[in-house]
Amino acid sequence: MNTKRDLLVLFALAGWALAVPHYGSEFAVSMALTCLMYATLSSSWSLFCGSTRYLSLATSAFFGIGAYCSALSLEQLGWLGAIGLGAAIAAAVAVVMGAAVLHLRGTYFAVLTFGMTELIRHAITTWEKQVTGTVGRVLTVVPERDTVYLTVLGLAVLAILASILVRRSRFGLAMAGIGADEQRAQTLGVNTRLVKISGFALTAAFAGAVGAAMSVRWTYIDPATVFNPFIGFQTVLIALIGGAATLWGPLLAAVVFSLLAETLRLQLPQLYMMTLGLLLILSVLYLPGGLASLRRETFTMWRDDIRSGWRELRAGKAKKVPA
Amino acid sequence: MTAGAWLELIASGLITGGVYALVALGLNLQYGLMRILNIAHGEFLMVGAFLTWMATTQFGISPLLMIPVAFALLMGAGLAVHRLVFRRLTRTSPNLDVFEARGLMVSFGLMFLVQNFAQLLWGGDLRGYDFLTEPVAIGSAQFAANKLLLLALALAFSAALIVTLKKTLYGKGVRALMQSPTGAQLVGIDTERLHPLMFGVGLGLSGVAGCLLSMTYTISPSMGEPYTVTALIVITLGGFGSMSGALVGGLALGVIEAVGMHFTSPSLKSLLSYGIFIAVLLWRPNGLFARK
Repeated sequence: MNTKRDLLVLFALAGWALAVPHYGSEFAVSMALTCLMYATLSSSWSLFCGSTRYLSLATSAFFGIGAYCSALSLEQLGWLGAIGLGAAIAAAVAVVMGAAVLHLRGTYFAVLTFGMTELIRHAITTWEKQVTGTVGRVLTVVPERDTVYLTVLGLAVLAILASILVRRSRFGLAMAGIGADEQRAQTLGVNTRLVKISGFALTAAFAGAVGAAMSVRWTYIDPATVFNPFIGFQTVLIALIGGAATLWGPLLAAVVFSLLAETLRLQLPQLYMMTLGLLLILSVLYLPGGLASLRRETFTMWRDDIRSGWRELRAGKAKKVPA
Repeated sequence: MTAGAWLELIASGLITGGVYALVALGLNLQYGLMRILNIAHGEFLMVGAFLTWMATTQFGISPLLMIPVAFALLMGAGLAVHRLVFRRLTRTSPNLDVFEARGLMVSFGLMFLVQNFAQLLWGGDLRGYDFLTEPVAIGSAQFAANKLLLLALALAFSAALIVTLKKTLYGKGVRALMQSPTGAQLVGIDTERLHPLMFGVGLGLSGVAGCLLSMTYTISPSMGEPYTVTALIVITLGGFGSMSGALVGGLALGVIEAVGMHFTSPSLKSLLSYGIFIAVLLWRPNGLFARK
């Protein structure tokens, strides 16, 4: 029942997004592209990390691997081939990385994935400096704007479609089971290792494909731009603010963020980052389930919170005055 | 290599290692006691460094005088952050795992906030000032006086923290809380008081580290992040929650980096430290000195 409704919503949104390049200005299309990129990244991130509660910070590693693959192979393999290769190599790296680190939970996992991302970035920088003698690549043959847009739109639809379908499948239930209680899931016969590694690889494949598709937008790439840890942070941020356990939350937050980013970032980059930080703190503190969990009760909860805080403050003052 | 060159190499490693240890001790205090993995820790070091730079260049205050001031100011900031953010987080989180994940995200937010605030306030340029730059000769090796002072003060502060934790009643309470939170609460140790205090002390120490760093190196608003990462590496080396482990780990990492960089190339520095970090986490996730 819900699946049908979700599919309908997805179909309608995709149709609308399809029409944007025909009437939108250059600016609107570029904004829509950023929006779609983050929608894909954060939807696919929450597909694995939201349900299993493994906090991965490796998104930018996969994104960068995809971007480099497409930069190196675009001329030989063609557009779709380059994207496919980017996704495949990112997934392969995720399988290796996952096999090494997915037995660690919580903070260890988050810190390790972050460390590995940085290791890959520094390794590629060093390799470029020592072996090829240059830093960065220039992309000479670049597909048209509309091709890039349609590809990223296709990836976004695919990512959300995958989230809808996986949710109801045995695989999705196994991941949710791991998130709720890993030992129990194991006792009930879930091959947790296999499920975790394949889920991680699926996320990585999407990030790699998006990286491969987006690399042509920059025409010049270097490790500092495509492995920028900020891409990973922002993905996690969007997913968390939207609600990592929900289907539409990440998409909703991706739209809000792209609007905020494009309007604020150019004029006041520092202010944009500060807003981002503040929003992250506030959302973790006051909206731990994400934007998608916002209900009428949330507001009454906040009101009660403020009232009790106020009362505490006054009680504290009243106590201090006589003493 | 001559003995003097070796001495210089090892000492330069120990000097950076001393700062690593000081930053790592503060982070370890926060993580070991409260399970807050404060990614924004290095940013407060940067704030300490900039406060010192401002006081020295604009008001002509000696950087040495700024050490206690930086400690007090950042400790105040720590108390405020704990009161506003982490107290609520402790109350609303259903279990420790959730608290850890949320604390990590909050500290990422703090990192963005503080780093960009500093950039807005002080601009993105490199800054620095001269303080005690005359060389001192020890045997056949030569050192800048400010670097030796840095090492001595970093070691003194680290030792003071470790001794305080070992000897005083407060310190015993803190260590008890690290070993068994429930047990410590049962014997009457007040977490509501100790947690904010120790969070503040952690930030205060990173402020001192920043103050010391600004005496010798140039500073910039983005200087904090590498120190956070190094501190993470150090506390994984020494074991989460182990104070003497953090001191030894910090000094060891400084020396490893200095020697490794001398024999390969400086551009490999980060590759080297991330390599060590991942290897240690995979091989001994409880730290090199963990007792089984």
